[in-house]
Amino acid sequence: MNIFIYDGSFEGLLTAVFEAFYRRINPEDIVPQERYQPDLLTTASFIEACPEKADRVYNSILEKISKQTLQYVYYVYISEEAGSGRYILDYLRLGWRLGYSVNQHLLDPRVLKIHQISKRVTVEKHRMLGLLRFQRIGELYYAEIEPDYNIVGLLAPHFSERMSDQNWMIHDLKREIAALYNQQEWVLIDADREGIPNLEARETTYEELWKAYYRHIAIPERKNPKLQKRCMPVRYWKHLTEKK
Amino acid sequence: MELQDKLKILSDAAKYDVSCSSSGSSRKNKAGGIGNAAESGICHSWSEDGRCISLLKILYTNYCVYDCAYCLNRISNDVPRAEFTPKELADLTINFYRRNYIEGLFLSSAIVKNPDYTMEQLLDTVKLLRELYRFNGYIHVKAIPGADYRLISEAGKYVDRMSVNIELPSNDSLKLLAPQKRKEQIIRPMGLINTEIQQTKEEKKLFRHKPSFVPAGQSTQLIVGATPESDSKIIRLSENLYQRFSLKRVYYSAYVPITNNPRLPTLQHPPTMREHRLYQADWLLRFYGFSAGELLQNEDDNFDIQLDPKTDWALKSLQHFPVEINKAPYEMLLRVPGIGVQSANRIIIARRTGPIHFEGLKKIGVVLKRAKYFITCQGKYFSELSLDSQLLRQSLLDSPQKKGPLYGQISIFDTTALIKPEEQYSKIFGEL
Ligand code: SF4
Repeated sequence: MNIFIYDGSFEGLLTAVFEAFYRRINPEDIVPQERYQPDLLTTASFIEACPEKADRVYNSILEKISKQTLQYVYYVYISEEAGSGRYILDYLRLGWRLGYSVNQHLLDPRVLKIHQISKRVTVEKHRMLGLLRFQRIGELYYAEIEPDYNIVGLLAPHFSERMSDQNWMIHDLKREIAALYNQQEWVLIDADREGIPNLEARETTYEELWKAYYRHIAIPERKNPKLQKRCMPVRYWKHLTEKK
Repeated sequence: MELQDKLKILSDAAKYDVSCSSSGSSRKNKAGGIGNAAESGICHSWSEDGRCISLLKILYTNYCVYDCAYCLNRISNDVPRAEFTPKELADLTINFYRRNYIEGLFLSSAIVKNPDYTMEQLLDTVKLLRELYRFNGYIHVKAIPGADYRLISEAGKYVDRMSVNIELPSNDSLKLLAPQKRKEQIIRPMGLINTEIQQTKEEKKLFRHKPSFVPAGQSTQLIVGATPESDSKIIRLSENLYQRFSLKRVYYSAYVPITNNPRLPTLQHPPTMREHRLYQADWLLRFYGFSAGELLQNEDDNFDIQLDPKTDWALKSLQHFPVEINKAPYEMLLRVPGIGVQSANRIIIARRTGPIHFEGLKKIGVVLKRAKYFITCQGKYFSELSLDSQLLRQSLLDSPQKKGPLYGQISIFDTTALIKPEEQYSKIFGEL
């Protein structure tokens, strides 16, 4: 069994796709270094990320298939789901054969898989646009998240548009990365738990007001915890001001 | 009074308002400003009753000079009262917004002093937010019945959505339970707002910089179960409102028994299942091409509590079925129980690439459990039952343990089917 390993970057993934294509090798899977578990039966080749090769794949997706497909590929990449390298490869092979119409083949398992994963990522992204909570610490608005998928880079554009006149940081504690914004632009940085600002020093007046609001806006006669949990899964509650 | 106490009193007083939607506007942020609106709306939390919290939904004040029987804020009721200042409200909104608690503000009010005075306070608040605080997030404001239209129209320039509440489904009920409100006071501003919305739309085509006017449209709300109107009357009214005033939404609010006024019914629980059926029917009117008359034929008819309105219609219209998945036009696919807007769209796309088999339908999101009785795939019929309305009815009834507590205003399980693609994410998460 042949496996490609890459450095975990999108560029690295696209380079691996390039190699699979042009070397006419059909790897069983394309796995980021971090998640690679060596075993006796697999031969792993490490693929060095190469900007030129990645660019060629990127542009070829745009030109020969579609922008939509590029987005799907990206979303499946950040889903970090097991097997996603393989799904992407299969989907792209089909895409290059069928061209623009590939996404109409809703019943083809290769397309269906990609659509399903992308959908889950989109759903979580949209959910998090609402569920993310900033805490104010001095001049910084700081948010902690632990999303299922690696969506911090999808959230940042939304908040730099919306909260453009405040400094903020969105910290993915699970992946130890953060998006940092200084009222000009946002950047993605490595940030482990050491990077958490002093939460003791945060401003709490509005947190208290929000909690009071949250309690009082519910209609007691219609209490419905099941519905509440279905709409807002409990795994997200940990970082919600109103649920702390 | 402390801000905290005001907030408690005035959110308590606002909680029976149903709408919390933040959709329909794509207002952009401006340099040096804060906030924008998301076209599809965003839910920020869900309260204990399972309803989505998108906007800071609050009353300006609950001091009221009116005496509507169904309302906690009525003058004759002994409850704690409070009143915000426009500045307090603007500060709350901005600070909640900066922490990403909310999409914006939904501001309503009881009638303090008189309608004009009340509307002026609301106007001051939204002006302050937009002009001084440079807030570009979502604002929904109530148009106060009986207020001078000039005030309402002025507010319309600042907000995204406006609503005038119908409150009760008929004039007689209004007379009985809200004696100081008259139908004309509700219908008239609705008409004027609509005219101005339509005019602004036209002018915007010619002059790009024409300022917006209520870009997310109007909505309204009515209470269900406090008065004797049938479901049929209610959805006919809604149909009318959608057609005549291009309303974006009609909200239905199951009456929560809060007083023992003899003019009101004594209910153990709010009629939430009935409310749910009305929402389903409302979707059928707006996105599925049904008319009110098709869903309920006679004026006094009510929806079947055990059967959703679409299935109910299908069972009464078996002459249209089964439909062939690979041939039926979009409009007909939409009428099949178990097929929603999204799956109908997918069927249309997928069948361009080849014939659809029965097994493929599930992948597309069709709820086969319901749909199988009403369709054929490449000429084959898959249900073990024949097209007999009695037999089918038995197997399609909502099983009792499944319903009840889970239903909110929108329930995904039987309405994933009912989701319009561009709205799907917010729909999935609750109210829009
Ligand atoms: S006008 Fe009627 S419905 Fe509105 S707050 Fe006053 S009493 Fe309640």
